[in-house]
Amino acid sequence: MLEKEPVQQRGFHNVFQNGKPVGFQVRYRSTYYRGIWLSMSTGFEVTVDGEKFSGPQIRVTIGGKTYTQEEMKKIGNVQWPNYEAAILTVAKPGGLALGVHEVAVTWGHRTSYIPTNVGILGAPATSTRKLVLVY
Amino acid sequence: MTRKEFLQATAGAVTAYTASPVLNASSAAAERPGPKRGVSFYSYYNDLNVTCTLEDLFAEANDLDTRLYDIGLEVLTGVVEDYPNPSDAWVKKWHDMCAKYHVKPVEFGHWVDSKLYSETEPLNTKESYEQLVQDLRLANRLGFTCARTKLGVIDGQLTPVKNWREFIKMALPVAEKLNVRMLPEIHAPTLLKSKVLDDYVEFIIKEKTTPWFGINVDFGVFQNITSPGRGQPGGQPMKEGTYSKPEDLIPLLPYVHCFHAKFNIMTDDCKCPNIPYDEVIAILKKHNWNGYLLSEYEGEDRSTGGAFAAVRKQHVMLKRLLGEV
Repeated sequence: MLEKEPVQQRGFHNVFQNGKPVGFQVRYRSTYYRGIWLSMSTGFEVTVDGEKFSGPQIRVTIGGKTYTQEEMKKIGNVQWPNYEAAILTVAKPGGLALGVHEVAVTWGHRTSYIPTNVGILGAPATSTRKLVLVY
Repeated sequence: MTRKEFLQATAGAVTAYTASPVLNASSAAAERPGPKRGVSFYSYYNDLNVTCTLEDLFAEANDLDTRLYDIGLEVLTGVVEDYPNPSDAWVKKWHDMCAKYHVKPVEFGHWVDSKLYSETEPLNTKESYEQLVQDLRLANRLGFTCARTKLGVIDGQLTPVKNWREFIKMALPVAEKLNVRMLPEIHAPTLLKSKVLDDYVEFIIKEKTTPWFGINVDFGVFQNITSPGRGQPGGQPMKEGTYSKPEDLIPLLPYVHCFHAKFNIMTDDCKCPNIPYDEVIAILKKHNWNGYLLSEYEGEDRSTGGAFAAVRKQHVMLKRLLGEV
């Protein structure tokens, strides 16, 4: 099962290429009450200790497949389910230092059944949590 | 003896329903007439996958008392593993859970996502139809006979998207073939006496859609006292004209195929202080309405595990009002 907090502790670690850290991953679950078609996501941003990452710096893995945020905008037949945290892979040469980091994830989505002029549901919201990086 | 009959017999539940010799998990032939209790797993969405599994929710539904009849169920599309294309193995597990816990699939909560690709350019009629029919097929595969067809809206009165009549008309023969009723939800602030409802009823009569297109009425439309929340204590009478009167429901009843039994507060003596459940249920009984009231809890404490006790209290109230005790 998932942790109650949107930003998940497990899965926070650096990613490596040829033995060298090239970025990090963090898992994030949607607390919206329904699954979301990938195309309805309005985008992820990740901030670690004040350093912000967005757009092409973040790739998103859902259901074992990895997408760029640009690709997601065109995929209207794959859902991000509530029972699965998305894995956000963030490009950062050298990775993050071991230890405690303040990690914020901002995410939003469109909502068809709420009129645009009162469309506060789904507006980008930020969840912040202290996470511990072990490798 | 089917597996379901065996389980019911061993549980000591002796009813006309279980005694039917032709009964199987998909048969609704010997169903108890009148309004019946059900639950939407939406009530527990803060807990699902965090403090409990889907099977835990089935066990909870079973514990709302299934001795007299199987409890009705609504789920949203997102509980289906690998939605919109679950495996046959998952679908079998689903039907096994329904049988084991005496739960009857009633309504599949789904959406026509008109903003699938854009905030301002809604899906065209063909795209909307395809999304709708995909869910109707899945609803049928999972044993549902109703679909809460949430339409995209264009204004604060929740007027549906301009092309709704076109794609609903296209889907009518499919809905009939699959035995699934398409039901937009009538939700506050929409009033039962309003242009939104007039438009639906005009379409229903003109196109002779009954029962394949009708409505689901959310009990929140009858709420006449404010609820606590957002720093307000609640308990204030609401302004006349901002909510619907129970009697406004009567002319619509032929088109209502299930209800969302919305509530956001229950007292410890199992009463709902801000929605006149007693009056609405008296109307349903008097007019011989037949179908399910699906509990939908939206109280403040649902994010801290409060939904379980709240739904149980509501079912005590519903059992009393429905004459099940």
